[in-house]
Amino acid sequence: MSTEKQTKPEVQVSKDGIDANVLFSEFKEHSVADFFKKNRQMLGLYGKQRTLTTIIHELVTNSLDACEEAGILPEIEIKLFEIGEEYYEISVIDNGPGIPENKIGSALGKLLAGTKFHRLVQTRGQQGIGVSGIILFSQITTGKPTKVISGTSKEKAVSLEMSIDSKTNSPKITNKSYLDRKFRGTAIKAKFKEIQYKKGQGSVDEYLRRTAISNPHATIIFEDPFQEVTKYERIIKTLPKIPQQVKPHPKGVTVDEMLSLARYTSARKVSSYLMLTYDRFGQTAIDSISKMIHFDINKDPKKLTWEEAEEIIAAIKKTKFIAPNTNNLVPIGESFIEKSLKAIVSPEFCFVYTRKPSVYRGGYAFQVEVALAFGGNAGRLVSVTSPKAKNRKDSLEKEEDDTKDVRVSEIIRYANKSPLLFDAGGCAITKTVQSVEWKRYGIQNFESAPITVFVNLISVHIPYTSAGKSAIADEEEILAEIKLALMDVSRRLGRYIIDKKKEAEKIEKRKVFAKYAPEIVQALSRITGANASSLQKKLDKMVLEKLKMDDLEEEIEKNNRHKGKDEIEEDVIEDEVIDE
Amino acid sequence: MVKPKKQELEKHEIEGAKEIQGRVYDIAKNIVHQIENEHTPTFSTKVRGLSNVYFDEKKGFIQLGDKTVTRPFLNLGAARKFMQTILVTEKCNEYLKHSKTASIREIYYELKHTVANTKENTFDAQEESNDVIVDIEHSVSTIREKLGLQADPKGALYGDITLIDRKHNNDEFNCKNLGRGGWSIMSRLEPDEIEIKDVNADFVLVVETSAMYGRLIEENYPAKNRAILIGVSGQAARGARRLVHRLRYEFNLPVIVFTDGDPYGWYIYSVIKSGSMALAAHSKFLAVPDAKYVGMTLTDVEEYGLYNVTEKMKDGDIKRAKELMSYDWFKSPEWQKELKLAIDKKIRIEQQALANKSLDFVAKKYLPEKIEKEIFL
Repeated sequence: MSTEKQTKPEVQVSKDGIDANVLFSEFKEHSVADFFKKNRQMLGLYGKQRTLTTIIHELVTNSLDACEEAGILPEIEIKLFEIGEEYYEISVIDNGPGIPENKIGSALGKLLAGTKFHRLVQTRGQQGIGVSGIILFSQITTGKPTKVISGTSKEKAVSLEMSIDSKTNSPKITNKSYLDRKFRGTAIKAKFKEIQYKKGQGSVDEYLRRTAISNPHATIIFEDPFQEVTKYERIIKTLPKIPQQVKPHPKGVTVDEMLSLARYTSARKVSSYLMLTYDRFGQTAIDSISKMIHFDINKDPKKLTWEEAEEIIAAIKKTKFIAPNTNNLVPIGESFIEKSLKAIVSPEFCFVYTRKPSVYRGGYAFQVEVALAFGGNAGRLVSVTSPKAKNRKDSLEKEEDDTKDVRVSEIIRYANKSPLLFDAGGCAITKTVQSVEWKRYGIQNFESAPITVFVNLISVHIPYTSAGKSAIADEEEILAEIKLALMDVSRRLGRYIIDKKKEAEKIEKRKVFAKYAPEIVQALSRITGANASSLQKKLDKMVLEKLKMDDLEEEIEKNNRHKGKDEIEEDVIEDEVIDE
Repeated sequence: MVKPKKQELEKHEIEGAKEIQGRVYDIAKNIVHQIENEHTPTFSTKVRGLSNVYFDEKKGFIQLGDKTVTRPFLNLGAARKFMQTILVTEKCNEYLKHSKTASIREIYYELKHTVANTKENTFDAQEESNDVIVDIEHSVSTIREKLGLQADPKGALYGDITLIDRKHNNDEFNCKNLGRGGWSIMSRLEPDEIEIKDVNADFVLVVETSAMYGRLIEENYPAKNRAILIGVSGQAARGARRLVHRLRYEFNLPVIVFTDGDPYGWYIYSVIKSGSMALAAHSKFLAVPDAKYVGMTLTDVEEYGLYNVTEKMKDGDIKRAKELMSYDWFKSPEWQKELKLAIDKKIRIEQQALANKSLDFVAKKYLPEKIEKEIFL
C-alpha cells in the first residue's frame, strides 16, 4: 500500500491547524490513546457517520497516493460489513506497490513516523493522521488488532496482525505468515465501534462517488453492509502528475514554522537558512531584512529564539518578494473533469473551467477548477411528497403514489481533489456558489434546479476554517477566483439554456404552423372555391422558408453574442446580464 | 317638441347582407391572393382599446381611430388567432349567403372542434370567438348584427309603431296592441329584418328601469303624450340602442332619456348619446348625439321637494361621477353643475322615488311638465 515516504503524515502547520510540535510533545507526555480521545473533534473522528467517512477517507487517500507515486492506475475495493450495532469491519484492498516487509511496522504502526512536518506539497491529506491513526482508533474502540496483507512485485506477500503500543508509539506485529498466491498491493482489514453506516449526504457512498468524480483514473468498488456493490470504472488511463514539493514562500510563513524549520536545516547561518529554505528569498531580501532586525543575521539558525523569529516575520511583512511559483499545482484538468462528470453524473450537459493559478495572502499558490453539470441525472435525488398527499388520509397507497423523486441542486466541494463532505454552510465554496445570481443564467430557482456544481480548490496550503478541515475559509483571493470561474461556466450554461429554449420554440413553431395550416386552407377554399391542395403546398413552402429565415436570424444573433463575450473584462467581478 | 332636422341616412345604416358579404368574402379572397403570391397571409383590423379611441366633437360621439393591427399567420403568437379568424370569417360568409342568423354562443359551438392530429380545440372558450368577431366587425366596418350574428336580446318597445318582421312570415304588428309588456326588442334590428313601417308619435322616451316602463304604460302615458316608450332595463343592449338610433334617423324623432339620478343612470344616457369605448367603432350605428336628458336630476330634488327620498352615494358612485365630469360630452356648464352638486351632496335619487308624491305623479305631472317646458340637461 504505502512506502515509507508516503505514510509520513502530512500535518499541515498553520495558525488554525494542528501545531505539529504541540502534537509531538503531547505524545511524549501522555499516551497516544489519551491524546486521541481528547482530540477526536480535531481529527474528524466525531459523529458516528462522520467518523466512518473519515476512516474511509484516510484509507482510500492512502491507497490513491501510493498507487500514483508508484505509477500504477489505482483500483481500490472497499467493503463494509456490519458485525453488530454500531460495530463494523472495514476492509480496503488496493493494487498499489505494497510495502516491503521490513518497513510495514514503521510505515503503518507508528504515528507521525519520521515526519518532516513542513513538506509543502499539494496533497489530498486532510487530517494527516494516516493509516496508523486509523489502526489506533480501531484498537481504542474494539481492542482488536488490524489485519494487514502486503505484497510487492519482488517479495512474497505477507499477512500479519498489527497493533500499536500507545505508550511507546511503536508497532506490535503478530501472526505473521506468507501467502502462497501472488498478490501485489496492500489490504487492510480493521474493526471499529462507535460508527454507523447511513446513506445520504455525508455517507461513505457519497464520499466515494465524489472521489470517483475527482479521480477519473481510478477504479473504485464499494460493497455496502447490505452486500450491494457500486463500481466506478476507470474513465481515463492517464495518471495525474505527481505534485512537486515546493519551498514555502516567505509571505506565508508563521513564527512557529520559522523556528521548526530552523531546527532541521543544515545551514549554519540564519541568512543561508532563509535563502535555502524559502522560495524567492534572495540576497536583496536578506539585505533588507538585516537592516530591520536587532540580532546578527549570520547567527546559528538552531539557536534562533521565538522573539528573533518574530522579528524576521515582521521584517518579511515589510519586504517585497516575487509571488510564489505556481507551476507545481496539479489540477485535474477540464477535459478529465468533463469526462468524469459525464460518466458518473451523466448530466444533459456540462461546462468546466480550470482557472489559471493565482496567489493568496501573498505567499500561497492556488488554483480553482469549477464545473456545472446540468439536466439529466445532475443534482441530488430527493423524494418529495406533494402537499396534497400529506393532507389526504384516505389510503396509504395514495400517499405513496404522490411521493416522487426529484433532482435538486448539489454543490460538490473538493480540496486538492479530496471531497469535503461536512460543514458545507461554513465553507467559502458554498457561500460563493450561493452568491451567484443564478436567475441571470436562466436558472429560476437554484435550490430546486437539476444541477451539480463542482468546485476543486488546489493549493499547497488549503486555508481550512478549523482543525476539522472540512470547510474552506473566506480568503478574499480564493473567493474571487471561485466566483470568476463560476460566472464563466454559468454564462455558458445560461447560453445553453437559452439556446435550448430557442430550439424548443423552433420545434413548437413548426408544429403550430403545421397544425393550423389545414384548418385555414379548408376554410379559405370553402369561401372562395380556391384549390385547397395547391394552397396547402404554397403555405407549407412559406412555413419552411419562414423557419429558415428564423434560423438565419438566430445565427446572426448568436455571432453577435459571441463577439460580446470577448469584450467582457475577465477581472470584473460584476455579473453580466444575458440578453434574451 | 321640435323635431330634429331631417337628414339623409348614411350608407352604412342601410346596406344589406349582400354588400357586407362581399366584404367578408374579400377577406378570404385577399388571403388566398397573398398565399398564391407567396406573401405571408395577414389579416388586418383596427386597434382596440383606449389608445385608439377618441371623442369626435363634430359628430358628437366616441369613435375608433385609424390605427390598424396586422396579424400574420407566420408568427408564433398570432397563428392560432389567425386560424380562428379565418374560421369565423367562413361562418359569417355562410350565414350571409344563406341569410341565416346565429347567436354568438351558437357560432362558438358551431366552430369548436379538435384541430386535426392534435389534442387542441379550435376554440377553448367563447371569449376567444367573441374576440375574433369584434376583429371581423372592425375589419369590414360593420356591426355583428349585419354579419348575421346576435347577442342576447334585452329591452322592450311600446307605443303606436308598426313593425314588419321580414324574417318571420312578414308579420306586421303595432306595438300598442301587444299587451302591457309591449314588444320584446330583438338583438338584431337591421332594416332588412325588422322594417319600421309607420310611427305615430312625437318623440321617443328611453326609460332605465322596467318598473318605470310598466308604470308609464299603466298610466297610459304613451298614448296621452304621443310617445314611443323603450324600456332598456339597465344599460342599453345593442338591439335597443340600434332601435333608438333608427327611430331618430329614419323617423326624425327626438330622443329623450329618463334614468335614475345617479352616475350609473347618467352613464346609460351617455352611452345612448355618445356611444361607449368598448363599441367605439359602432357609434355610427348606435349613438344619438342629440338625445336629451330629462331626469332624474338633483335640481328635481329641490324643485319637487324629494330630499327625504334620496339615498346616499357610495364611494364608487362618487368616483364614477368624477369620471363623468371629465368626459368631453359632459362638459356643458349644466352637466358640470349637476355632477358637482351630486359629488358635494353625496346623494342619488331613483326614478321610482317620484312615487313618493303619488303613483301617477311621474306620468301626469313630472314628465309632461319637464318635456313641455324642455327642462333638459
